[in-house]
Amino acid sequence: MQTEAPLAQVDVSELDLVKQCQAGRTEAFDQLVARYRTRVFAMIYNMVHNEQDAWDLAQESFIKAWKSIGRFRGRSSFYTWIYRIVMNVTIDWLRKKQIKGGGAEFDDAIELKEIEPASRTVPKADPLPHQRMERDEIRARIDRAIAQISPEHRAVILMKEIEDMQYHEIAEALGCSIGTVMSRLFYARKKLQNLLRDVYENI
Amino acid sequence: MKTFEEKWTAWLDGELSGRDLAEFEASLPDKAVAEAEKEAAHKLGALLKEQLGAHAVAMRNEDFFSHQLRERIARESPLSREPAPEASTWWTVRRLLWTGAASLALFLICAVFVMREQNPGEQSQYLTQILSARVDPAVSPNATISMFETTQDKVTVLWVEGLQSLPADYAAK
Repeated sequence: MQTEAPLAQVDVSELDLVKQCQAGRTEAFDQLVARYRTRVFAMIYNMVHNEQDAWDLAQESFIKAWKSIGRFRGRSSFYTWIYRIVMNVTIDWLRKKQIKGGGAEFDDAIELKEIEPASRTVPKADPLPHQRMERDEIRARIDRAIAQISPEHRAVILMKEIEDMQYHEIAEALGCSIGTVMSRLFYARKKLQNLLRDVYENI
Repeated sequence: MKTFEEKWTAWLDGELSGRDLAEFEASLPDKAVAEAEKEAAHKLGALLKEQLGAHAVAMRNEDFFSHQLRERIARESPLSREPAPEASTWWTVRRLLWTGAASLALFLICAVFVMREQNPGEQSQYLTQILSARVDPAVSPNATISMFETTQDKVTVLWVEGLQSLPADYAAK
């Protein structure tokens, strides 16, 4: 797993990289991709729960970012800007999938067969078989719970709890008000607390 | 902050302070239950972070991801790349109006100039003939033509020197 530099460190040259991208230099864009691909992929994966779909959507997001980087004005960080694209692409995809699947995506009928827990988890040290099983089971429970909330609520709670983004950054990434972000966060937390209470109380 | 949901969320995330915090906590019917809920929410957050963070979700073949992306960009660029706003917005309405007005003004100036220059009714046909003859250096290489005109008296004097021969039509007349 690649270790990505903390945002504070990368911000200085990030704008330079963006300017180079705007001048058409693909090598600069390659560097930006290398910085964010893991986090972008993880975020999308947590939204869609399928490795191949997450890969394709991450590709799509970066392609869109490249095509529209000329419009990036630096009013927000590149990180917030790319997340906005990622969220648009992913939520749009989930909505289309929901329509095609007759609305089954956001309830218990999600197909967990698609997920290969062992393939996506990088062990810090080789866990014992029973530990791995336990961890995979927890992961499957979380995925199943997240699958039951809407894409917008998923996006908000993942950005807040995993990416530690501020309310205004989430609002910017999702194109909504801070109040909406806080409200969605309230309901997403309540829902997940109800679904996962036994999990987080017992570990 | 207006709704209870917003206040609750801000309280959970430690975003309330001072008077807002005191007012909100005073409005809670059972503070102990609320504190338990807060703790539960924090545990949920920690669980999600541990299980779903980028460290826990491996992206296999990162280099291939970038390679694939580079290939797609090379395939789709530069034709598909959206131009920067500076390039795309050259033809603004304002610029179009200015360009149109400038073109119209130029046309009017040219039209007036041409109309003033062209007055075929007052020009002698002989002048045309002599001028035609002059422009042929083979016929009259050293010819000079001077024209004196007084518009008040409507008189024009044409002074010609060095013509080798007069045009045939002129001679006939």
